[in-house]
Amino acid sequence: MSMNPIRPRHVATKALVAAALALAAFGAFAQSGTEADLARRLDQLAAELADVKAQLARLQQRQPQAPAPASADASPTAAAAASAAPVVAPPAPAYSGSLFGPGTVLTSYGELNYNRPTRAGQNAQADVRRFVLGYQHRFDEKTKVVTELEVEHAVSSADDPGEVEVEQAYVERQLTPIWSLRAGLFLMPVGLLNENHEPTAFYGVERNFVETAIIPSTWREGGVQVVGNFDNGLTLEAGVTTGFDLNKWDASSTEGKESPLGSIHQEMALAKAHDLAVFGAANWRGIPGLLVGGSIFSGEATQAQALDKARITLWDIHARWSPGRWDFSSVYTRGTISNTAALNAALVGNPTLIPKSFDGVYVQGAYKLWSQGDYALSPFVRWEQFNTAKSYADLGPGLTPPAARAERVVTVGANLQVSQGIVLKADYQRFRENADLNRFDLGLGWSF
Amino acid sequence: MRVVLAASVFAAATASSSAFAVDYLSAEQAAKLMFPDADTFEARQVTLDAAQLQQLDAQGVRGRSARWPVSVAKRGGATLGFVVSDEVIGKVELISYAVGIALDGSIKQVEILSYRESHGFEVRLPAWRKQFVGKGAASALRVGDDIANISGATLSCTHVTDGVRRIVAVVALARRAGALT
Repeated sequence: MSMNPIRPRHVATKALVAAALALAAFGAFAQSGTEADLARRLDQLAAELADVKAQLARLQQRQPQAPAPASADASPTAAAAASAAPVVAPPAPAYSGSLFGPGTVLTSYGELNYNRPTRAGQNAQADVRRFVLGYQHRFDEKTKVVTELEVEHAVSSADDPGEVEVEQAYVERQLTPIWSLRAGLFLMPVGLLNENHEPTAFYGVERNFVETAIIPSTWREGGVQVVGNFDNGLTLEAGVTTGFDLNKWDASSTEGKESPLGSIHQEMALAKAHDLAVFGAANWRGIPGLLVGGSIFSGEATQAQALDKARITLWDIHARWSPGRWDFSSVYTRGTISNTAALNAALVGNPTLIPKSFDGVYVQGAYKLWSQGDYALSPFVRWEQFNTAKSYADLGPGLTPPAARAERVVTVGANLQVSQGIVLKADYQRFRENADLNRFDLGLGWSF
Repeated sequence: MRVVLAASVFAAATASSSAFAVDYLSAEQAAKLMFPDADTFEARQVTLDAAQLQQLDAQGVRGRSARWPVSVAKRGGATLGFVVSDEVIGKVELISYAVGIALDGSIKQVEILSYRESHGFEVRLPAWRKQFVGKGAASALRVGDDIANISGATLSCTHVTDGVRRIVAVVALARRAGALT
C-alpha cells in the first residue's frame, strides 16, 4: 500500500506525537531515585503532555479555517462571506483502508454453487465456480489501474477442469470531469450483467442464459475506449478493441451450440489482432431507479487467416427499473455472423456449423420481501428465451442445417443478503426444451 | 492519551485525501449553495457520548464516529440550518458529500463534493439527490425503500444513503441534547 503524500501540517502533528511518545518512553525508562523524584518527573511529564495537547488543539482549530476556493460564479460579497465563514472539515471515516487514502485497494468476489438436476441426479455438482482477486491502484488523483485475476472451478492444471484468467487489466485516466480514457483489457459495456457480474449484483445462483449463451459474459476485449459521464444521466462509451476469432470454431464439438461467441472469444490470450472491432454503448439513468440503454459491437473475425471474410455484430437493448422494493429488468440481444455460407462449405458434415444469427431475451422481476439490518430477502422470477442457432445461411437443399429450437427457461428463487457483500441464493430452473436440465441450485457468493 | 493522539493523526491524515479525480464542490461552496442567505457558518463539534451512540444503534444507525463537525448556517445571529460534510466508501473509492438540514430537521439538500469511482457517478445527478429532500429522521432513508437505487451503482447509492441517514440522526440527537442551539 502506498501512503498519501503527507502535508507539512501532518508532519507537524506527527512530530508532536513522536515527541509525546518519546517523552513517555523517557519517563518510563529514565526514572530512578526517590519517590519525590518520581513525582517531580511525573508532574513534568503531565505538564509537557498538556502542552502537546494544547498545541494539537491549536493545530486542529487552524485546520478547519484553511481557506477553500470560492466558486467561480460567486459574487464578491458572497465570496467574502464564504471565506469568512469557517469550513467544517469532514470527520475521519472509520474505514481503516482510508488511512492510506488513494492507494491500493484489494477487491474480491467468489461464487460457490451447487446444482442438482431433478431428473438426472447423477449430474449433481458442487463447484467453486469463480474465485477472483483483484486490485485497484491509484497512481494519482486522475490515473488508476484496475485488475482482476480469476480462478474458475477451483483447480487449474493439465488434469483438472479449472482455468486461471486475467479478467480485467486496464488503466483509466480522467481527462476532464466528463471524459475519461481506458486502455487495456476491459469488460465490454453490453447488457446488464457483463460489467456487473459479481454474485451480489444478480438474482439467481447462475448467471442468466441470455447473458452467457448469447452475450459471452464475462466478455472482455483488449483495446482503447473513451467513457463520457454527462450531467443529464447519460453515459457514452465507445472504443476500438480486439475481436473474435472464427478460426477457433470447432464444428466437431457442441461448444458453438452452447455459446457461439463464447466458443470463439479470445480473451486477449495471444489474441489474433489483424481485424479490430469497434463498439459503442449508451446508458441513461436520468430518472432515479431507471436505467435504459443499448450497445453495439462489430468487427471482422477471420483475422486474415482465411480467404473468406466474416463480420460479427452483436447488439443489445436493456432496461432496469427499481421502484421502491421492486426490481424489474429485461435484456434483448441479437448477434449475426456474415458470410457463413462460404465458411460452412468446408465444414459440412460436422455437427455444429456456424450460425448466421442467434438471439435471446429475458424479463425478470424481484421484490424485497423482508429486510432487517443488513439482512434482505428478495424472491425473484425470471423468464428467458434464447436461441444459439436461430438461422443458418443457405447451403443448398439437404446441406443447410435446420434452425435450432429456442430454449425457454423459467427460474424461481430468492437471494438472501446476509451482509452488504454476502449473499445466499436458492432457485429452481425449469427448461422447456431439454427438461433433463431442470435443476435446483444453491449458491454462496461474496463481493468486496 | 496515546489513543487520543493516534485518533488525531488519523483524522489529519484522512483529511488530506481530498484531492479527488473529479471535485465538484468544496464543502464551503456546498454550504453556501444550501443556505445562500446565511452570512456566517459557525463550526461546531458535536461529540456523542456512549449513551447517544447506543441510541443511534437502537435506531438502526451505525454511529461510526463520536465526533461530528457541524457547520451551523446563521443570518443575523439566527440559525437557518446545519451542514455536515462526510465521506463514505463507494465501491472502493471515497465519495465526499454534504448534507444540509433545515430547522425542522428535514433534509434541505444533498450535494456530492467529489466522486471518483469508475461507475456509479449518477449519485451526483440532481434527480437522484432530490429524493432526499424533505425527508427526515422519521423517514426510512434506505435504498430499495424510499430511495431508488441506480442500476450498476448499488454500493455507491447504499453507502451515501446510509451516510445521509446517519447524519440526519446525529444532528437530530445533538439538537435534542441542546448541542446545536
